[in-house]
This record gives sequence, structure tokens and C-alpha cells, in this order.
Amino acid sequence: MKCLIIIPAYNEAENIEKVVDNLISNFPQFDYIIINDGSNDNTKEICREKQYHVLNLPINMGIGGAVQTGYRYARDNEYEAAVQIDGDGQHDVAYLEGMLEVLEKGQADAVIGSRFVDKEGFQSSRLRRVGIRFLSNLGKLLTGVRVKDITSGYRVVNRRFIEIFAEDYPADYPEPEALVIVAVHGGKIVEYPVIMRERENGESSITLKKSIYYMCKVTLAMSIRRLSFGVRRKKK
Amino acid sequence: MIPSTLRITLCVAVICYFVLILYYLKKRMLELKYTLIWLVAGVVMGVMIFFPELLVVFVKMLGIESNMNGLYVLCFAFTIAILMTLTSIVSRQTMKIKILIQELSMMEKRIRELEEQNNEKQG
Repeated sequence: MKCLIIIPAYNEAENIEKVVDNLISNFPQFDYIIINDGSNDNTKEICREKQYHVLNLPINMGIGGAVQTGYRYARDNEYEAAVQIDGDGQHDVAYLEGMLEVLEKGQADAVIGSRFVDKEGFQSSRLRRVGIRFLSNLGKLLTGVRVKDITSGYRVVNRRFIEIFAEDYPADYPEPEALVIVAVHGGKIVEYPVIMRERENGESSITLKKSIYYMCKVTLAMSIRRLSFGVRRKKK
Repeated sequence: MIPSTLRITLCVAVICYFVLILYYLKKRMLELKYTLIWLVAGVVMGVMIFFPELLVVFVKMLGIESNMNGLYVLCFAFTIAILMTLTSIVSRQTMKIKILIQELSMMEKRIRELEEQNNEKQG
């Protein structure tokens, strides 16, 4: 299965080398593309120097816009699967074979690398887990599909959803909303147990200060997303 | 106190307001990010209609004589706030477009030079 690894990177100069060098030396069977989302550190220079495959966005678009660039690239280069991993080394690529296997057998349209299936490894702070559980319940309420680790950025999708995401992907804080898109399109979501590492350098994109805004925004976005598909789904 | 007829009118108006916003959001003609301020304004207006006591407290606090005037001041404040956010959004977009155009022109130059090099090699 021709699979593309999409690595969105915003100011990841400290981590990107380790992540990509690991990919190149240990997982040469996968193609990758770094989306440098208008970083203002020297991410761009590092990528050029090391001759990584990189798309440099001239302006910071936010994670959603960056990842969508990756899906567009995957669509135009005829990839059958695309996986999104964070540029900070949180996600272990070793699980990818297993996740792709689930996809290949046709058991799922989207496979989510989930921290909460086996409850091993870095489990995030308590407050965040409460937030994640709330969004997970909301997702269940809106679509009937339960995804425990709904904010996980480690996810594989097949060709069908590469095409859908290339056209329509949420702009900021996209993870939970993207899963609503998968669910309302009738895609099957499977969670695959992974162990995530705590990020080593830099800060997570969601600070505590922003979390209230995050929760309001994501709750509204998920609800409206569900609403805008409501009538269309009945037509089928 | 606000007269009850006015409260009903305002109530209907706020419902229309929300329906309109939701309709546009549903049709994906509005970006949620830019609509949040509209939604917040709507919620505050709704609260003021359902709990007019709050409006009275607010109006007293500002030292305005009539409740109705207080309501107008509130509406005006929201309009100004929304206009300000709009201006800020437009300004940010202007900056982004500017950078895009500059990047594009540099890229055009690079491609042109590459093409010329290529032609020289072939010719």
C-alpha cells in the first residue's frame, strides 16, 4: 500500500531532525512530506540543508491548513493511504504497519492511534483527559460513533478520505471535527492502541490559557459540522 | 423595566438572529472562527431579555437614566466590538496576502531562471 506520512511542523527545529532521520533510516518503505507551516525558527533551513521532502508554506495557516496541504499532496500524487503524525516526536512510527494492516483489510476507513485503549504510556494531564472525555461523549452523541482518543493527531486514512479531506478539512483544532466528518460520511473508525511519548522539546500547541476557548470552539464546530450534514444524510 | 411587548419583539429578533447565523454556518458561508463574536453578542442579548433585572443593574452601574437608553448603548457597544474585530481580521488578511504576493513573485523569478538555464542546456 502506497502510504504517505504527513508531518505538519510549526517551529519544530529542535525535534524535526530526530523525527525525520528516524523515518528515513528505520522506515524507508514509507514516503513522507513535511509541511513547514510558516515557521519563524530555522525549520526551513534545516529541511533544506538535510534535503528533506518539504512543502514550505509562506504564511502560518494553523495545523488544519497545514495538514490539508498534506492531504492535497497525497491526493495529487496518488497515495492510497495517508498518515498524519506530529512533528514533535510524540508518535511512534513503529505502530504504522499494524495500523495500515487494519486499513488494508478493509476493516476501517480511518485508524486512530489511541492512548486510551490499553491505557499505557503518557496519558496527558487529568484536566485534559476530562476535556477529551467530554468531546468523546459529544462525538458519540452527534454521530453515534465513540472514539475514546478523539483529539489524537496520529491517524491513518484511506484513499476515499484523502480525497474528502483534500477538499474539506477544518481550519483550527481540526482533530475531533475531522472525525465527525469521517463519521457522517459513513466511514468506519477503528482505534488502535499506541503508546505516546511526552513531547521532549517545545510546547504543546494548546496551552492551558487557550483550553476554554478550545473547548467552546470545538464543541460548536463539531455540532455545526454534524448539523450541516443532517439533511444530506437523510437524502441517501 | 422593559415593557413586555418590547421583550417579546426582542425575543423574536434574537431568535431570528440565531437562526440566520446557524443557517449561514450550516451552508458553510461563514467561518465559525469569525462568527464566535456574533454568537457571544447574541447570547448576551438573550440573557438581557430573559433577565431584565441584569440590564437594570448594568444601566445603573453606567449611570444612565432610562433603561431603553441602556439597551441602545449595549447594542451600540456590540456593533463597535464586531466592527473592530472585522477590521482586525481584514488587516491580518491584508498582511497575509501581501506576503503571498511577495513569495509568489520570488518563486516566479526562480522558475524563470530555471527555465532559462534549462533552455541554455538544451540549446
